[in-house]
Amino acid sequence: MHEASIASELLNIAINECSKNGYSKIQTIKVIIGRATGVMTDALLFAFDVLKENTPAESANLIIEEIPVRGVCKDCGKEFESNEPYIVVVCPVCGSFSLEITAGKELNITEMEVN
Amino acid sequence: MKLKVTTKILDANERIAEENKKMFKEAGVYVINLMSSPGAGKTSLLERTINAIKDKVKVGVIEGDITGTNDAERIDRLGVPVVQINTEGACHLDANMIADSAKELPLKDLDLLFIENVGNLVCPAEFKVGEDIKVMILSLTEGDDKPLKYPLMFQESSVLIINKIDLKDLLDVSVDKIRKDALSLNPKIKIFEVSCKTGQGIDEWTNWLLTNIS
Repeated sequence: MHEASIASELLNIAINECSKNGYSKIQTIKVIIGRATGVMTDALLFAFDVLKENTPAESANLIIEEIPVRGVCKDCGKEFESNEPYIVVVCPVCGSFSLEITAGKELNITEMEVN
Repeated sequence: MKLKVTTKILDANERIAEENKKMFKEAGVYVINLMSSPGAGKTSLLERTINAIKDKVKVGVIEGDITGTNDAERIDRLGVPVVQINTEGACHLDANMIADSAKELPLKDLDLLFIENVGNLVCPAEFKVGEDIKVMILSLTEGDDKPLKYPLMFQESSVLIINKIDLKDLLDVSVDKIRKDALSLNPKIKIFEVSCKTGQGIDEWTNWLLTNIS
């Protein structure tokens, strides 16, 4: 995936939220990332640490919560959950390709600590 | 102090893509995001398609490449408006690049705009640019294992064009397997078999296209 552009975009959003609410420093940023997004968390943390310099987030920690891929097979009806780091293509129970993915595509900021 | 936020991180691209879509709709232009691996035949398909339909509809093209103007020059020779984007290293087009380059096209005079994405079977499928539909090409020389290896692009595309069909008897590739796997991933995908070299199958594709944009 595109960790550097994602890090840059999440910094933009966080810095905007921070100043919009009248604060000047960001201490933590919490994000949730679904496994099906293909985002590599190590690469995201690295890009974040490089890009945060000389911004209100320069001493901020990025806390990442990873969400497993969940879905339902449209053929056998079984629900499944996977921690594989990419989209589930085949039903682990019956092998069907006809899946409805219900979780794992999240890429959201959920909470920040500011002062 | 804790701040609760619920913002999608890729919101900016999606928002600009929506604005692009609105701008294209107001101008009355149908927009196709054309994607494939490098060398699958995106520009060749555009040449064949534009030659077949340019008397019936007004076509424009945005060419996306990492560097160079080779593709835009090929399109320019056909006498239709074209803008070249050089992404300077980025592996896909995003909505912002399209918003900028669309300003250089006479949108109000166009019926159909092709956006030829950067050759890449992965990343372009992840970024909306404001298109009506995504069309992808898979050429036979890439092999019949590609739908299951690169599922997202097959899932996101409305049309799959299988190019280089003239090589079918020379290659150990099963067109049936490509069809079966693509349809498993995306039961609604419309499939055309063409050869941009011989012209085989181009009529079926352009007839479908003309029916769908009118």
